Amino acid sequence: MNTISDNDLILYFYRDGLDAGRIGEIDDALLASPDLRARYTRLQQMLHAVDAEPTPEPDALFSDRVWQRLDAQIAALHPSARPTGLRARLFDLLHSLLVPRAAFAAACMLLLAIGVGFYAGRSTAPQPDEIAQTRANAMATRVLDAYVAEHLRATEGLLLTAVNSDDAGLVGNRDLAASLVDSNRLYAQAATRSGNTRLADFLRQLEPVLLELANQSPDTPVQSIDGLRDYLKKTDLLFQVRATQARIDAAGKHST
Amino acid sequence: MATDEVRWVAEARRGDRNAFRHLVEAYSRALFALCMRITRDSTMAEDAVQEAFFNAYRHLGDFDGRSSFKTWLHRIAVNAALEQLRRNGKHGVTFSDASSDDDGEDFLASRPDEAPTPDRHALGGEIGRQIQDQLARMSTLERTAFVMRHHEGQSLETIAETLSLNISASKQAIFRAVRKLRGALEPLR
Repeated sequence: MNTISDNDLILYFYRDGLDAGRIGEIDDALLASPDLRARYTRLQQMLHAVDAEPTPEPDALFSDRVWQRLDAQIAALHPSARPTGLRARLFDLLHSLLVPRAAFAAACMLLLAIGVGFYAGRSTAPQPDEIAQTRANAMATRVLDAYVAEHLRATEGLLLTAVNSDDAGLVGNRDLAASLVDSNRLYAQAATRSGNTRLADFLRQLEPVLLELANQSPDTPVQSIDGLRDYLKKTDLLFQVRATQARIDAAGKHST
Repeated sequence: MATDEVRWVAEARRGDRNAFRHLVEAYSRALFALCMRITRDSTMAEDAVQEAFFNAYRHLGDFDGRSSFKTWLHRIAVNAALEQLRRNGKHGVTFSDASSDDDGEDFLASRPDEAPTPDRHALGGEIGRQIQDQLARMSTLERTAFVMRHHEGQSLETIAETLSLNISASKQAIFRAVRKLRGALEPLR
């Protein structure tokens, strides 16, 4: 009677969970028994068929996307933290969009620039150069898109943290959320002014959630925090943020 | 790579985000594959990877170097993937479903033992589909234990520790998973 079970063969295949003595017994039995060899061959066939399946691969931008969101989440954790090393300046430039006052200032500057640009385009030239005007408008749109894309990345990081972190982590995001409320309003105004009503409407939809996150405190009832999380999980807001971000990124690549 | 990894981990622990970014770039795709195999959903897998890195960053101080950073990170990712399944309501019943119609019975002897013929090789695509079906049939626990053992090469001890099981329960989960896979070879009959 063969005392070597299929379970023994599975452990033997992985060389795990069997002591050396038992492995030796199975070695000997495999040499002596064609039936056992056939059973083991079938097991190997089956498990090698699993290996033949392709490894799941993410898209090419996956790592960058993960890092962008992670960077925003880390910034929310340690607002004062700054990267070190050779690329610090580049990081600072990027992070300036995420740090509360800098983000607000950047949004103000952008709004001002877009406002002046559009106003100047409409009112100054007695015989407007339409090509130059079109170029100026396109440039203003690209600049707005670049800033809004960064704003949405930071917002996505904030929403992900809100969905995934504990209550303390959620409360720790208040400053970032408050800064995003301010810049969100200004980007919505800039989008309206540039004629991008779709983007403006979407940004206005975001505002109540950002406000809610900005108003979290340690005293906020647990039910309220859970309600916010449920809202984020049940609606497709996070998806919409990603989709809008992807659309802007794609438009930016297309126009360059 | 190993030397770089040690340096990146040390620098990241001192708060260097750029060093942590190197770790993200080095491991994000492997973590995606792991989380995808467990969740079988690319959105959940991506969210799990995101959460795993965030948790790893927050708990870098707890990494004691007893295991490799990769092993430590992958364990975090397994739990993040399971958490995604819980949140999305795709975890509950299947995680505790330990029963199987023929648990414990030998099944390998019931298969024909001819060598695969060209016709059978032509069924490769069908077998691939069947494997996916069988993986989907597994409970979360079975699939996770199997993925950790088969694809990740983790020991039974690590699997047990990661899934908060004892060694015997980890073995049983793997046995059940392998047993379910036999259905994938039905086209070879």
